[in-house]
Amino acid sequence: MSGYFAGIVILTCVNLLAVLGLSLLTGFTGSFCFGQAGFMAVGAYVSTLLTMRLDAPFPLALVAGCFASLLVSIPLGYPTLRLKGDYFAIATLGFAEATRLVVENLEKITGGSRGIPSIPTQTSLPVILIVALFCVWLIRNYVSSRHGRNCIAVREDQLAAEAIAVNTFRYKQISFAINAALAGLSGGFLAHYVGFIQPSMFGIPKSTELIAMVIFGGMHSVTGAVLASIVLTALPEVLRVASAWRLVVYGALVVTIMVVRPEGLLGSWELSWSSLRELRSAWQRRFQTQS
Amino acid sequence: MILQQIVNGISIGAVYALIAVGYSLVYSVLNFSNFAHGDVLMLGAYIGFFSLMLLKVPFPLAIAMAMVGAGIIAMIIEKIAYRPLRLRRAPLLYFMISAMGMSIFLQNFTIVTIGPNFRTYPDIFPVKPFAVGNLSIGRLDLVILIATVIVLLLLTWLVYKTRIGIAIQAAAYNMRVASLMGINPDLIATLVFLLAGASAGIGGVLFGMKYTVYPWMGVLTIKAFVAAVVGGLGSLPGAVVGAFVLGITETFAAAYISSAFRDLFSYLLMTIIIVARPAGLMGTVAQEKA
Amino acid sequence: MALLEITNLSKFFGGVKAVDDFNYTLDSGHLHAIIGPNGAGKTTIFNLITGIYPPTQGKIFFDGQEITNLPPHVIAQKGIARTFQNIRLFPDFSVLDNVRTACHQQANYSVLEGLFPTPRRARQEKELTERAYNLLELVGLANRAKERAKNLPYGHQRRLEIARALALQPRLLLLDEPAAGMNPDETEKLMDFIEEIKEKFNLTILLIEHHMEVVMGLCDDIVVIDFGKKIAQGTPEQIQSDETVIQAYLGAGEEL
Repeated sequence: MSGYFAGIVILTCVNLLAVLGLSLLTGFTGSFCFGQAGFMAVGAYVSTLLTMRLDAPFPLALVAGCFASLLVSIPLGYPTLRLKGDYFAIATLGFAEATRLVVENLEKITGGSRGIPSIPTQTSLPVILIVALFCVWLIRNYVSSRHGRNCIAVREDQLAAEAIAVNTFRYKQISFAINAALAGLSGGFLAHYVGFIQPSMFGIPKSTELIAMVIFGGMHSVTGAVLASIVLTALPEVLRVASAWRLVVYGALVVTIMVVRPEGLLGSWELSWSSLRELRSAWQRRFQTQS
Repeated sequence: MILQQIVNGISIGAVYALIAVGYSLVYSVLNFSNFAHGDVLMLGAYIGFFSLMLLKVPFPLAIAMAMVGAGIIAMIIEKIAYRPLRLRRAPLLYFMISAMGMSIFLQNFTIVTIGPNFRTYPDIFPVKPFAVGNLSIGRLDLVILIATVIVLLLLTWLVYKTRIGIAIQAAAYNMRVASLMGINPDLIATLVFLLAGASAGIGGVLFGMKYTVYPWMGVLTIKAFVAAVVGGLGSLPGAVVGAFVLGITETFAAAYISSAFRDLFSYLLMTIIIVARPAGLMGTVAQEKA
Repeated sequence: MALLEITNLSKFFGGVKAVDDFNYTLDSGHLHAIIGPNGAGKTTIFNLITGIYPPTQGKIFFDGQEITNLPPHVIAQKGIARTFQNIRLFPDFSVLDNVRTACHQQANYSVLEGLFPTPRRARQEKELTERAYNLLELVGLANRAKERAKNLPYGHQRRLEIARALALQPRLLLLDEPAAGMNPDETEKLMDFIEEIKEKFNLTILLIEHHMEVVMGLCDDIVVIDFGKKIAQGTPEQIQSDETVIQAYLGAGEEL
């Protein structure tokens, strides 16, 4: 496998991890998170500082980054997830900006806006591929469990969810924590693949790109999130589209999708043996009626 | 020294107030935060800038053009990105996403068409500040404060004293009841966006003069949104109070604690306020009808 | 024995007294109704009982325990289920999942087991699905289990909402205008259905209704409220001959 191709697959997995979390939080639970890149930054910086300054082994550093990001989500979600969605959205945006600010100004530790160069590139294709697929499996399990259904109930109608004894605040917190953990993991892998990190990598454009992936694929489908991560990471890499034009198209598409087909490409369709069988029988029926 | 900080705080607060009322006005009637408001402001700043530089119009006319232009743009945004959602009663989440999409589009469209560079307004007012005793007051800051006061007074008059304003208030109180009383919700939405857009237009010009003009300057209005939240989303007086509270807190934090972490204190203030008073300083908690 | 006890309950919205010093005791095992003209505060009482609004004053006890100011989901956990006046299903969920979600308390596998499936989870999920199907069978919607809730016709949505409330295994069921928008034929079927579930699940039911024939034919005990105040309480016969009630209804231009 060529290094170029492997690189695209690794970047796809990096995005996929962050998108999976958002899919759970925004797509399934209905809380709009504007600051996903902030959690990636926490994961990236914590894991990098551990491998570079303390010579920690890479897996341990990854887990620490993931955990640090999860911890940050707790005080952030606690005051805001009880309130109307606007407050949470702005709080996450504020968090991402504040994180960037802290990183830029703690120059002695983080290298400021110039960032940290020559990070050991320890992210390998098989490892990240296995981790990403494992996380897809976890999230698929979760959304089809009773807890996942409760999350969807929160999204669909919060008051009705409360009326059937769903602790809506708790489920939002859990989704937020899982989201943060996945984003932290994604950030750790990213840092140890690219080999350098700087605050500008984790700005608002990164957050919006990730959100766009969730929306394009289908807000209620893990399969959609996976497909969108693959297509939207690989396509720009292969086509080498200028990033600004790409974002112009993303923006227009996001609005169009919300207006025309808010459920996104796949709606709530999931790839599974039984859904494939259903597709096949639907095809056969169509074929029979035609002949 | 303290007095000087208060003056600085007020001058920042005035800019925030101008933008925050736009957020609050839309929120009060349509119950969602128009996150594309900052980009309308950015476009207003560009309209003002090019009116001055290319069309060579006098300054007051440039402001008027920015207000009209930004108002019309805001109206169009409402029609394209929000109205279809409102008509089919889509959940709040979709409004926020649509607003975000619109914001990405406007920002990057400006980057690819006008270019990503920073542009500086010509000096309309002498740079040299007034000196009152030990205090120094920037001429531009004074202009901004006066403009803010005028716009706020106009807006107050419009919303509280005219027929249109009373219709807007009725819609803010309860859109469904208002529409039963013969108020056309589409018209109200259009008007609200026109007003919010126009205030963002003048806000953009003043913002652009104080700092610079660039495609992602809309991001700076996050702070104005924070001010609207602090004051109480949906409350016009709240937006103004919140803006000045935030402006002054920020300047003091920057002067006495750390200027690098100034924005951190803004977010901290917001967090404290919404934990202690979720409805903000002046807002009332809206209870969802079951 | 009193299942629900409400003392001095008031709810003010600004200057509007939606509920004003309301006292009410509800015995278990009966069918109760709250009636009153439009805007009298009936739904507000439901919203106060289920914790959606905090009361301005007063206390609510359920089964001897105070539930005032508890969050809605805790009150639901204690055994009070409800339907909504303007139907609040989970629109994008399938009919089955609307009910299956509401069964969640009958499973106890953890969040971790949500991520990493265990045999216990599989077993409990199977039970939940069976339970949900049984309830759908009961309301006659089992054949539409895979459809999206929002695509059901109105009458079916009402029944689905009742099935969802029953999934909580409640002891007290609050029905907010269950017969709204139904023709007399459908209304009669609904009345039989309410009787049936009351017996079958040993429920206490409190309902808000405008259709007088539903209330009079079905309920053992009726409370009449007007302008947030209780103006009468008693059996259907007592209510029909009560002067104040007739006045209130004549004043509101509605037929008793």
